[in-house]
Order: sequence, then structure tokens, then C-alpha cells
Amino acid sequence: MRHGPIIGAGALFSLACSWAALVMAPQLQLGALAPAPIPNTSDVHPAVRPGLAAQGAEVYRSLGCSQCHTRQVRQEALLFGARLNDIGSNASTINLSLPASGTTNLVNLDLLIALAKARPDLGIKNVTPPPALAGDTNLAPRLAQFTKDLALLKHADDKSAIVRPASGSTVNDLAVKLPAEILVKAGPDAAERVVKLLTDTGAKAELVIYNLGPDIERGWGARRSVARDFVNDSPVLLGSVRIGPDLASIGTRAPEKFAAPWKFATTNTTDELEHRLLVHLYNPRLLAKDSTCPSASYLFDTNKPSIRPAREPLPSVYPRHNAHALVAYLMTQRADVSLPEAPTPAVAKPAAPAGANAPAKP
Amino acid sequence: MTTAQLSSQTACTTAPSVAEVEASCRLPVLFLAFSGVKWLAVGAVLALLASIQLYNPTFMEGCPWVTYGRLRPAAVNALTYGFALQAAFGLSLWLIARLGRVTLTNTLGLFIAGMFWNIAVTVGVIGILAGDATGFDLLEFPLYAALPLFASYALVGAWALVTLHRRTERDLYVSLWFVLAALLWFPWILSTAQGLLLGWQVPGVVQAIVAGWFANNLLQIVLTGFALAVLFYFVPKTVKRPLANPGLAQTGFWLLLLIGGWGGLSQLAAVPAWIPAVSGAANVLVLVPVIALLVCLWQTAEGKIAETWKSNATFRFLLVAAILLLGVTLRTAVFGGHFTQFTFFATARTDIVVLGVFGLAALGALHHIVPRLTTGEDEMPSDGLADLAFWASLLGVLAIGIGFTLAGFKQGVVNGSAESKFLESAVTGIASNLKLVTVGYGALALAALAFLANFALALRRCCAACCGGAR
Repeated sequence: MRHGPIIGAGALFSLACSWAALVMAPQLQLGALAPAPIPNTSDVHPAVRPGLAAQGAEVYRSLGCSQCHTRQVRQEALLFGARLNDIGSNASTINLSLPASGTTNLVNLDLLIALAKARPDLGIKNVTPPPALAGDTNLAPRLAQFTKDLALLKHADDKSAIVRPASGSTVNDLAVKLPAEILVKAGPDAAERVVKLLTDTGAKAELVIYNLGPDIERGWGARRSVARDFVNDSPVLLGSVRIGPDLASIGTRAPEKFAAPWKFATTNTTDELEHRLLVHLYNPRLLAKDSTCPSASYLFDTNKPSIRPAREPLPSVYPRHNAHALVAYLMTQRADVSLPEAPTPAVAKPAAPAGANAPAKP
Repeated sequence: MTTAQLSSQTACTTAPSVAEVEASCRLPVLFLAFSGVKWLAVGAVLALLASIQLYNPTFMEGCPWVTYGRLRPAAVNALTYGFALQAAFGLSLWLIARLGRVTLTNTLGLFIAGMFWNIAVTVGVIGILAGDATGFDLLEFPLYAALPLFASYALVGAWALVTLHRRTERDLYVSLWFVLAALLWFPWILSTAQGLLLGWQVPGVVQAIVAGWFANNLLQIVLTGFALAVLFYFVPKTVKRPLANPGLAQTGFWLLLLIGGWGGLSQLAAVPAWIPAVSGAANVLVLVPVIALLVCLWQTAEGKIAETWKSNATFRFLLVAAILLLGVTLRTAVFGGHFTQFTFFATARTDIVVLGVFGLAALGALHHIVPRLTTGEDEMPSDGLADLAFWASLLGVLAIGIGFTLAGFKQGVVNGSAESKFLESAVTGIASNLKLVTVGYGALALAALAFLANFALALRRCCAACCGGAR
């Protein structure tokens, strides 16, 4: 080759290719990404950081925290499950309580069959009403139908070579305590089939998801981090090496998931976590003996300030403004909000009132 | 065609002598080389101090200026901009002048631009220590240092290209392809990245993508390209044979440019999955040009490697640099995926490319260039110091590479399983590997000092020869 311009043009073309693919294309795909509304609230995720936390982001950048901490939670698999929330009622629901007792003990017989279909690993028992109700004319035909259904189920089991255990827990016990996890960590098709089986009987069931992976097991976040989590950041400090733990969700991390586990002493958990983070900044080895995190004691003062915005970490030191700002920034780190592209498991609703789908003890 | 022939004929008649070419190189090349290696010593010491803090957190505690989060980027940027790129400019000027058989254009201007480059790097390093780092890997210099840096590069690059244009040897040798591509590539990626990150501020994770794209291009094309330019010039020269297979070198060159710029993003997590996938594939594909180029060098040197190793100080550096180039490409291709994500493994890549592949190649080249420009001899004044520089830098790069890589594997195991305790296994459990890294930076600083001492000896002898005669 004797012509420099040819090399220059070739280099420009090569660079333009990689630029188009790795700079232009991501910008076209992600440039217009906006915070997503959080369902049933007027909030969005990620929220704009309040002033103090925005100043804390600058402290985080300036001290180079991202040299040791990533803010990216990884997730290895997304699995599904089915959760039964309420047994519901339909024509086949019977009440096994005595009419005079004032309570109800509803049993959805169709649901029992559906549960048996969903869980071939569990046995199923026939339902026997208490002796006092034996002569109830409302119950008799339904129970007879149930016996027929059981026979059909047995037939179907034999056909698909399902052998149910003769002893141990049965599907009759599944719905004793609601919400009940009927199917755990399965594929999307299996989970949808079970949810349909259950809802067809009039029960209330929902599809649940399981975010899996070591990061999530460690409690570093409820789901993987996605591009949308960072739309409000500038500069975006993702971090590339975990010399310390991931901070993507430090603001919502459970106390037992820290390197030095602890327990909330009061109900004011935000205040306690903030205090804990301040102590960590002052001297990480006060909390975790082996921590290699450098102390940021220069963010603290030994003179009592005239205005004290929050409690001091230790009796003799007082956090400066930057310490408060950094902690406020860390408290905004949360990857627990469900996003369309990265859902989080729905929190199980409080247990339904008694009335379990279980036959009364004879 | 006739005009080209004519011009080459006229050029031949005006081609300067080797002595004239070397005289024109003296001031800028020696200045860039000396201050480059000076930054190697400074950067290695900064990195050494930072690495001690990784297992001894109370070391230099309580001062924000020397906390790990500032010391480490200051060290990496000092090594990259102060040492690697600066030395690369000096070597490029030398290669252009020698291979193009042309005297350097505006040597005083190049010298002054080099001084401004050093001032900008100093300001940048102090800026990082003061807390003004931008937070993007290999782009940490704040804007007030990045702009003068770019301006002084623009002058160096422009005069280098003008010199290249005025060359009397019209055929461009392989080394000059790499020099030309890297000299153009560097301002393109630097202006793109600085513009998008510090100027326009692209939104969200696109920033991390741009920074990763820049860092990879800097390592894979610019610094590897300069290293290959040195290898392709000095390997044939030291084994005293013509380049074996120029056709293969040409293929390798174009493929490296086409594929090399696509890597570097394989370990981002919070981005659409196609980005790490594409980058991971490029990390594997880039093996093809790298191996093609190394085969070309191998064919040139085959059979004379052991002999040249003993007789030539420069060749030893080059051989190790070539092996490291193969090693670093292979390790990224094989292990550069999910397993080593968020570990020291990627840190090791930067260090091996900057200090090993480029650093050793540059030190080797300087062991040839510096004596020629000072004393006029073929060897550095002190063989002992040259040996020390070689063995210390070899030990240093190997210790850093192995220490960080093993630490990275241990971290990878912990990252992959929630069973193992993070603090015990991934933080305090890698202290022994990190101590090896500290030793490595110490050895590198020693190598830089040994070379500087040798350099000073050569300068003294040179001055004694000129001024002593006058006295």
C-alpha cells in the first residue's frame, strides 16, 4: 500500500461500522427511554432524586465509590408459579359447618379436582361431611358428583401413569392457609395452565414470578437492573468490578442481607438504615470487622454543629453535609419496583380470613 | 502513474540522510520518551499505593485525595495517557521519520505540544485526586484537562500526518499502516466519547455503552495498533530478515480494524442483551486478525528467536509483548463472558494491554531508539540496567496479570453462587492475589527507574561528547 488516504478512509469506514452498531443503535433504542409509571400510584420509576440525593450522587462520583461497587443486579432465570388467593365459590361449593354453629367451612369440590390435576405429586382424599350433616339433601348430590369426579381423575391418572402417594399431605390440605403457592418455579406454560385450571373453578388465583440468581438470593435486589433504572443518572456510574457488594438496591436491602446482619430495633426502618449507613461511612469496620471499604471519616466532624439535621452515627462525631447527601443518595438506590421489562414478584396479600378449603375434622 | 514515478524519483534525490532524520527526531522523540517513562514510574507508584488499600484498608486512611476510588483512576489514567499514549506518539514520530525517510516537521512545535500534553496529564491526574473525575473508565480526566489534552494531541497528530505526507519513501510499510490508523483512530474516538459524555450527555446507560466502546477501541485498536507497529518494525530489524508475509499482514491489519472496535461491552449487565452478545462474539473473532499478524511475525523470526533473544535487548521485550498480545486476546475470548463479569478479570485486561503488550513493546523500542538518538551507539550505556529493566518489567506485568486474573476467577466463583460468603471469599479471600499485584506494580516502577537511569547515563555521555569537546 502506498496511499495514506486509502488507509485513512478504510479506518474511518471500520470505525463508522462499530460506531453505528455500538453507539448509534443503542442510542436509537434507549435514547427515548422514560421513567415508567408505577401502577396504582401517581409515581414513576426511577423517580427524580430530591436535591440532597442529587448532591449525594456527586459525592459518590467524586469519591470514586463506583471503582469498587457495581449498581447492576444480574438475574439468571425468570420462572413462574401459581398462587391460590381465594377458594371462591360456585355451584359445587359446599358448607361443612353445622347451620347452627354460625361459622362456615366452605369446600370448593371442583377446586380440589383442579388442584389434584395441578399437583400430580399429591394425593387426594374424599370429602366426608360431619355425621350431623349426613342427611343433608343439599350435600348428597354434590358429594356423589365429587366421588364420580374422583373416579374420573383416577382413570386419567392411570392413563398418564401418575401414581399418587397413598399417605402424606394431600391437595385437601393445600388451601388450608391462603394465599397458597400451588406451583413453584415452573415454566410459563405450566404456570398458566394451572392458573386457568384454578380460576375455572371460581377460585381466585394469580400467576407469580420468580427472579432467580445468586445476586437476588443475596438480597441485592428483587430483580435484574435494566436500562430504565438509570434514565435519570448523569454520569451513569454502573461500576464494573465488585470489590464490595452491589449497591443497586441498598436503599431497600433487608437488614439480614448485609455483610454484618442486624435486626431493625424500631419500626422507623428508614431512620435506622440511614444511621447504619452513616456508621459505615465513618468506619466500615465498626460494623463488619473484615470490611476493606476505606473509611470516609473526612465526611464527619468532631465539633457539634449548630444545626443537626439528623442523628449522629456515634456520640462524638457529626456527619457533614456531604455525608448526609451520600446517604440520601444511597437510600434512593432501589431495584424493587416492578417494570414491564423486569417484573418483580407480587407481594403476597395478607391471608384470607378463615374458611379454609378443608373438610372439618370428623 | 507517471506523475507518481516522477515524484518518487524527485523525492529520492531529495531524501535526507539517516543522520539528518535522526537529528530531527532527537528533541521531540527523546522528550516524549523520557516523560512517558517518567509517567510509567509515577503511575506504577500510584497503582501500587491503591493496590495496598485493597487488602489493607487503613493504609493512608482518612484523606479523600488518596482514597482508593481516586487513586486507582488517577493511576490508570496516568499510565494510559501519561505513559502509553505519550510514548506511542514518540515512537510514531520516529517510525514515520525513519520509514518515510523524512525529517520531522516542526520539531520545536512537537516539543512544545508534548510539554502541553504533559501539563494536561498532570492537571488531569491532580483533578482526579481532587475529586473531579468523570467516572468513566479510561476517560476520567475532567473536562478542563481533557480539552487541553485533545488540543495538544491535535498539534502532535497534525504534524505527524504532515510529516507522513512529506515522506520521500512513498511505499507505506506495515508499521506505518498501524501508526496512521491509530493516529487517526485516537482523535476520532476521543472526540466522539468526550462529546457524547461530557458535551451532549447522552441519556442513561448509553453513557456506559459509549465509555465501554471508547475504552475498548483505545486498548484494542490504538494501543495494540501502536504495539504492532513497533513489532512489525523491530522484529524484522532485530532478526535481520525482511518481513515474511506482507499479504497476511495486510489481511490481519484490515480485519483488526474491522473487528477490533466491536468488543468491550460484553460485561455490561443493565443493557439490552444483544449488546453484550455482539461484543462477546467480536472478542472471539478478533483472535483471527491477531493470530494472522502474529503468524506473520513468527514466520519472519522463525529459527532465529533463541539467537536474537541472547544478543538483542530490544528483541526480548518484543517477544514477550507478542506473547502477551496472544495471551490477552485468548483470555478475553475464552473467559471474557458472564463468569468473569464484575471481577478483576477485566481490570487485568487494561493493565496487560497498557503495560504489557504496549508497555513492553515500547520499552523495547526505546532501548533501541534512545542510544541511537543520544550516544549514536546501538546499545544503552549500561547492559545491567537494561537487563534489570527487562526482567523487572516482565515480572511486573506477569505479577499484575496473574494476580488480577486469579483474583477475578475467585470473585467469579463467588458471584456465581449465593452459597459462598461474599465478604469472606470475594473480598478478604483474594488478598494474597492482590499482594502479588502490589509486587507487580513495584517491579514495574523499578523497571521504569532502571530505564530512566540508563537514559540519564546516555544523555550524560551524549552531553559530555558535545560539550566536553567544546570545553
